[in-house]
Amino acid sequence: MTSSAVDPAELERIRRRIFLALFIALAVALHTLEALLPSPAPWFRLGFANILTLTALFLYGGRAAWSVTLARIAVGSLFLGTLFSPGFLLSLSGGVAAVALMTGARALAGPRLGPVGVSVLGAAGHAAGQVLIAWLLLIRHDGIWTLFPFLLLFSLGTGIANGVAADLLLELLRAHPAFAGQGAPPPGEGAA
Amino acid sequence: MALKAIWRRLTPLDRLVVLILLLGVGAAFVLVGQRPRGAQVVVEQGGRVVFTAPLRDDRTVGLPGPHGETVVAIRHGRACIAAASCPNKVCMGMGEVSRRGELIACVPNALVLHIEGDAGDEAKDYDLLSR
Amino acid sequence: MSLTRPLVILLLLALLGFLALQRCAGERPQQLSRSRILMGTVVEISVHGADPGRLEAAVTDAFAEMARIERLMRPAGEGSDVARLTASAQGTEVAPETAAVIALGLQVGAESGGAFDMGLGRLKELWGIETESPRVPAPAEIRQALAGTGQGDLRLDSRRVEKAQPALAVDLGAIAKGYAVDRAVELLRRAGIESATVNAGGNIRLIGDHDGRPWRIAIQHPRDAAGQLALLELADVSVSTSGDYERFFEQDGVRYHHIFDPRTGYPAGRCRSVTVVTPSAALADALSTAAFVLGPEEGLALLRRFPATEGLIVAADGTPHVTPGLEARLTWR
Repeated sequence: MTSSAVDPAELERIRRRIFLALFIALAVALHTLEALLPSPAPWFRLGFANILTLTALFLYGGRAAWSVTLARIAVGSLFLGTLFSPGFLLSLSGGVAAVALMTGARALAGPRLGPVGVSVLGAAGHAAGQVLIAWLLLIRHDGIWTLFPFLLLFSLGTGIANGVAADLLLELLRAHPAFAGQGAPPPGEGAA
Repeated sequence: MALKAIWRRLTPLDRLVVLILLLGVGAAFVLVGQRPRGAQVVVEQGGRVVFTAPLRDDRTVGLPGPHGETVVAIRHGRACIAAASCPNKVCMGMGEVSRRGELIACVPNALVLHIEGDAGDEAKDYDLLSR
Repeated sequence: MSLTRPLVILLLLALLGFLALQRCAGERPQQLSRSRILMGTVVEISVHGADPGRLEAAVTDAFAEMARIERLMRPAGEGSDVARLTASAQGTEVAPETAAVIALGLQVGAESGGAFDMGLGRLKELWGIETESPRVPAPAEIRQALAGTGQGDLRLDSRRVEKAQPALAVDLGAIAKGYAVDRAVELLRRAGIESATVNAGGNIRLIGDHDGRPWRIAIQHPRDAAGQLALLELADVSVSTSGDYERFFEQDGVRYHHIFDPRTGYPAGRCRSVTVVTPSAALADALSTAAFVLGPEEGLALLRRFPATEGLIVAADGTPHVTPGLEARLTWR
């Protein structure tokens, strides 16, 4: 139990800040690791770092999700040396679109939408955001849109995978007293 | 099995969202299919153009790469990768292309195949005009 | 248990390090195209290479050099050698570049029996082809404009040009563009560029090839504005075309174009278009004009007198005449 001199709300705030920092660090690590893996094409990323964004979203809310994502993109690109490169621009536009969609969907749908649904929307948003910015600013060639259906399909898959992983993670975390009472209760166990 | 476990983690709304997005993907494929037909196949390897051919003539060509040989086949005005030595065969799974801007890539062999030009108007298959 | 965990971590780190080293930082080849209006035409330079900053700098330098050559060789204006030469009574010293151009022009003039002449300044002014109001001059006016032209109208001694007649007006229009292209190419080469094209309104010079395959150069069809006559597959060489369709006016149903026969003072009528392929763009420029004046048979004979020079001549009746060396690279359309 906490010592009586500390205000529990204050403790909660500190705890939250620490965990968000940890989430960001984990997200950066995943982002960096992923960049080292061989990939079919520049934009077909697995997006593991989104698992942390989702976790932050479901535990701490929209603003936390934004913090984790933006920090992850900034620090990640510093690590990889891609800050302000075209890759960074794509990452940023994809990330922003994704988080916007995810926080928006969560706000609108509330507990009805689970991590998988939010993740899938985020992944689709990421793909769309990337291709749109790439088309507008980098490659003004219509051919780029032929890539979009494949990209979307791929991100659907990774979205589901990341969503499931986030769901697992959330389950694990919520069982621990450090996270007790955070965010919305877990989604109904797929009552079909 | 594992799929069932995954399915159980989705709320009804989740499933709806996934379904809608799947339909969206389908629509995207259809829309992209509306593009004008191309005239030329251009294959680049490591950024250099290694092979070009018009879509008009049926032709099969083997292109060597770091992972082995990739066979490009042009038939009935469409190009596809008929055989490839790469491990995942993603390129072969990308099917046939024939419209301007469409792409097939075999990444292990660093090959990018794209369609250029306008089937209806063959004027611009040269680099410069001397007049 | 206490040893396996650090070992596993070490192994994972090693794997990570290995994967990290797999990233190659290769530069993707880039293409840069820039256009500018110089010497009365659109000049486009396209370079291929790895470093955009370097490419941009090289192209800028190349354009600057072409502008400098334009300034030096235009018919009138500040800093123009040609203007000074025209204004002088006996002749004057010129810049080394001007001297080089005049030397080449004199050589083409000699080989072509006077079909190429750099003293047609007054004739061009008389016809006014480049102006808003061209006209057909009277024979007497033409005779006067031709006075002093012909072989021997200019003599070159190192860097001093001498005019046979004080009234002679020098015009390098049929060779200066090609020379400017040559200079631009030299600059690009010195900047380390290995694949590029310089196109000054049809005066083309190629550096290297187009990413492993030859450049495809189409030849304008002399009578069909939207069509091409033929396609050439070339690398590392210059192409220049002179045609009767480029600049002309019509009076009383007769078409008068801008390539004059120095011996008659009237537009040359034996060809519709001439395309010359040779390493130097200045030579290609001059030869295409000379061969146009000479006509198909004598024109091809002229081309044969120069090394590594090929050509395609479309005679006035539309029949094509091709040098044997060009056949292999030619595809008719």
